[in-house]
Amino acid sequence: MTRFGRMLSLLVLFLWGLAALLAPALPLHPEQIDLQQILTGPNEAAWLGSDDLGRSIFDRLVMGARTSFSVAIGVVVISAIIGTLLGAFAGYTGGMADQVLIRVIDIFLAFPGILLAIALAGVMGPGMDNVIIALSVVGWVGYARLARAQVLSLKQRDHVAAAIALGTGRVTIVLRHLLPLIASPLIVEATFGIASMVIAEAGLSFLGLGVQPPEASWGSMIRDGARYMLIAPHMVLAPGIAVMMVVLAVNLLGDRLRDYMDVRILRPGHAPVSPSRGP
Amino acid sequence: MSFPSASCARFVAQWRTARQWGGLVLLLMFTACSSPPPVDTIRMGLASAPSSLDPRVATDAASERINRLLYDRLVELDDAGMPVPGIARWERLGPDHYRFFLAPRRRSFHDGSRLESGDVKATIEFVLEPGNGSPFRTALSLIERIETPSSEQVDFFLRRPDPLFPAYLGVGIVPAEAAARSHPFNSRPLGSGPFRFVDWPTEGRLILQRLRDGQHFSFVLVKDPSVRIMKLLRGEIDMLQNDLPPELAAFLGRQQGVVVARAPGTNFSYIGFNLMNPDTARLQVRRAVAHAIDRDAIIEYLMQGGARPAQALLPPEHWAGGKGLEPLEYDPPKARELLREAGYGPGHPLELEYKTSSDPFRIRIATIIQSQLARVGVSVKVRSYDWGTFFGDIKAGRFQLYSLTWVGIRTPDLFRYIFHSSSLPPGGANRGRYRSADADRLIEAAEAVDDLSRQAPIYQRLQALVLVDLPYLPLWYEDQIFVHRSDITGYDIAADGNYDGLLKVKRSVERAPPASDSQRDNDG
Amino acid sequence: MGNYLLSRLLGALLVVLGVVCLVFLLIHLVPGDPVEVMLGESAQAADREALRVALGLDQPILLQLVHYFEGLLQGDLGTSLHSRRPIATILVERFPATLELAGMALLFAIVIALPMGVMAATHRGKAMDYGAMSFSLLGISIPNFWMGPMLILVFSLWLGWTPVSGREGWASFILPSITLGTALAAVLARMVRSSLLEVLGEDFVRTARAKGLPEWQVIWRHALGNAWLPVITLLGLQLGALLGGAVITETIFSWPGIGSLMIESIQKRDYPVVQGCVLLISVSYVLVNTLTDLFYAWIDPRIRMGKER
Repeated sequence: MTRFGRMLSLLVLFLWGLAALLAPALPLHPEQIDLQQILTGPNEAAWLGSDDLGRSIFDRLVMGARTSFSVAIGVVVISAIIGTLLGAFAGYTGGMADQVLIRVIDIFLAFPGILLAIALAGVMGPGMDNVIIALSVVGWVGYARLARAQVLSLKQRDHVAAAIALGTGRVTIVLRHLLPLIASPLIVEATFGIASMVIAEAGLSFLGLGVQPPEASWGSMIRDGARYMLIAPHMVLAPGIAVMMVVLAVNLLGDRLRDYMDVRILRPGHAPVSPSRGP
Repeated sequence: MSFPSASCARFVAQWRTARQWGGLVLLLMFTACSSPPPVDTIRMGLASAPSSLDPRVATDAASERINRLLYDRLVELDDAGMPVPGIARWERLGPDHYRFFLAPRRRSFHDGSRLESGDVKATIEFVLEPGNGSPFRTALSLIERIETPSSEQVDFFLRRPDPLFPAYLGVGIVPAEAAARSHPFNSRPLGSGPFRFVDWPTEGRLILQRLRDGQHFSFVLVKDPSVRIMKLLRGEIDMLQNDLPPELAAFLGRQQGVVVARAPGTNFSYIGFNLMNPDTARLQVRRAVAHAIDRDAIIEYLMQGGARPAQALLPPEHWAGGKGLEPLEYDPPKARELLREAGYGPGHPLELEYKTSSDPFRIRIATIIQSQLARVGVSVKVRSYDWGTFFGDIKAGRFQLYSLTWVGIRTPDLFRYIFHSSSLPPGGANRGRYRSADADRLIEAAEAVDDLSRQAPIYQRLQALVLVDLPYLPLWYEDQIFVHRSDITGYDIAADGNYDGLLKVKRSVERAPPASDSQRDNDG
Repeated sequence: MGNYLLSRLLGALLVVLGVVCLVFLLIHLVPGDPVEVMLGESAQAADREALRVALGLDQPILLQLVHYFEGLLQGDLGTSLHSRRPIATILVERFPATLELAGMALLFAIVIALPMGVMAATHRGKAMDYGAMSFSLLGISIPNFWMGPMLILVFSLWLGWTPVSGREGWASFILPSITLGTALAAVLARMVRSSLLEVLGEDFVRTARAKGLPEWQVIWRHALGNAWLPVITLLGLQLGALLGGAVITETIFSWPGIGSLMIESIQKRDYPVVQGCVLLISVSYVLVNTLTDLFYAWIDPRIRMGKER
């Protein structure tokens, strides 16, 4: 079961990744509107059917993979890097810097992200890069919390004390002696993050900030399809199943990764319960 | 939360059934039963809730439509947009002096007090007071003073003659006495209209009563169109009007027990150009865009025939509407030709930005227009924003192309407001910064004529001019769609989408017991 | 404990202040003008200016912020630009709906997630584990703007068990709670699983087993009793998010809550209402989390000694 599941997950991700990479070179017409084919179900010409503008859902699905993967990976990478660095340094340095970071994190968490997204869209205009920015602005917080909590639990360790005694600089200690130890839970967190970002992008499109027409993304395809649920269920099922496949695959591999690294998952919660235990 | 005994028996029964559903049981125990509706209520689903039921300040479509039921107006507009007596007839005693005579047989306010000239005066004076921030002030600001020679007569003295003046008096009349003690009309409306306010427990549920027969009506907010339809199919609402994707309206037409009725509408959709932008300032570009858009195809396939092509702001049946105007032909070769003349071509393609609201249907239309323009070599970037940002950008002139719909426009004073060069925002809706000496002259000439029947031809010439200059590219007038359950009869659809049909609507037969005994009381 | 309490409350206050200031600034960045909203486009410049002065919008933004705080201290949240009703009244009308929905969603999540997480942990690596975790992934990956209408279609239209939408009677709570609570249940189940797995390896669990206690007692009393702290933290964070983040669910089910009020107000540029909503959301968020922290500190003395924060 595990082995089979793992292989299947790898295959799913590999195929979708390949599709995303090659999409521009494939003979696809994701933007070709055919008003007479509006909402027609699966048929020989379009075997996943047509959408609400008569465009081929299959073509849009393949093209949308590219958009959705770029957004998800972009957001996760940016917010993981920023969040981890901020959290790790603040946690290690402690004192004022740490206090400020805690407050900033709390403000971000207490602040309705929707308002932020609309403000960003209003100021910068909608578009894919701005989707990545908007989601990262909110997304870094989780990684910062996690990294900070992890560093707090590790900074009393002997090898850190040894490094301090040797006169190693703060930057080196964080980057060389702490980051490698906290990397695994962060990576696991990031794999989970990829899935939720695909969905989040759709939520932003809902507010007019997302991918702009005629571009396709899985999120916007699900959102558009949900409106025709009563008359053309194929429109939401195709992208819905695609998202689910990828989410399941990424998470199965993420779980595997975690078991492999044998880390305790520290959710972006507060200080760990038993700080003395390390990986 | 109350536990009336009858519904709690039901609660227990449901609870037993629900026990099979594991975790749900716990959920159910924490909630209360609802009381059954006291009377039969006809329920209408709304896509947006009224924001204020104070007729002196409310301008959003939902509020205006409901305020028409709650309040009376001195003047109404007939189907051709001409002012006709509402609760008053009028005489023009001098060029700038109108006398209104309140109808001898008129309804009293719902608190029993009689509607008199003092109430009219107080209502209009409230609107005129700048500190009250009423959006109707501008239209009525030509009033110099108001006098009440008797309780039955109101005199308006104007700063300048305007034969259209009665048409501006569409503001609902509120009682002066209540207004003086700052009665919250916005949430506790009190008027003299054919409907009486009953309750407004939450934003999404407003209950009125029709005075004629005591029939209760409730207006239920259901924003999501699919949900609104499912609510209708299940009988939780009896009717709904507009705000449906065309495909869903067609779907409803095929369902049992549901009837879809349509009527031509007057709400005008258009594409606005920015005449301050170097590209769209060029007439050739605007004409090329006009010839590249296949309106008929969009209406036929996307809107499923639910619209009629528009040539002018006001429809032909309006007294000042555009009549006999040549439609803009769909002619891609001509569009390409015009672009070539303007110096655009494969080496130097025309690139435009098209702004729209994030409404899914508007985005769909934008996407089609984008692909139609691509066929003549124009590359269009569609940018959708949330409503507030979008509308703010449009008013500030931050656009090249945008698309909007004028809702509920009835009077030709709008032409000054939209096309006169003195109406640039802020201070008007000439959002595209259209400056034409000819248009200004026509607008001023029409206003100077002291007779509506002689104004009409001038406004027609203005609309012909606008169709040549193309600050607006007219698209279509969307149909009004009214969907109701089959036991509902007698609703006349208004061309501007108002709810006056509720005056006559009724439930024809005794309502059959709903399928599930517990769920029909969506609004008690 | 007193010191810790004080510093937590002070921090909470700071966060609320920060959020309010941020909103104030952000709102002025967004295009759209409240005066325009009230008067419409036809208004003349003089009228606009008059209203701007009357509303105090002609003043520098920092001064406006000061005035806003002055109003707050007197319990005055301002007046809606659209309905022209006091904002405090509007919020009082709306908040119960939000609170109820968040509470029910949380309850639903706990009822689903706890057994699922325990099952998964106790059957680690077996089919039960994979099943539960896959199910929870499904919960994460179904967007609620699809799940809501889908549930309505099945449970209201086909089966006729629940009302389609609205907030009338107990049955109307079911679908919105499930829609809102599913994602939380999914996250929670994973959390329960992982913290339980961690505890199951500890000595006291082995001791309990060695004493011959029945397995269910070992799990539900001993192990879970020690595994729930991180779960509580997560719940605190999530409840805070639920209080303000139910916009889509509220919209689908016509639920008259704070989230949909905020979105409507943003769209109509009814700034005072937006500020009121954000204030309420952030206060409830901070309140819930401060309570969680205090509870946490009360349970685990190491924290209140100031070692960790």
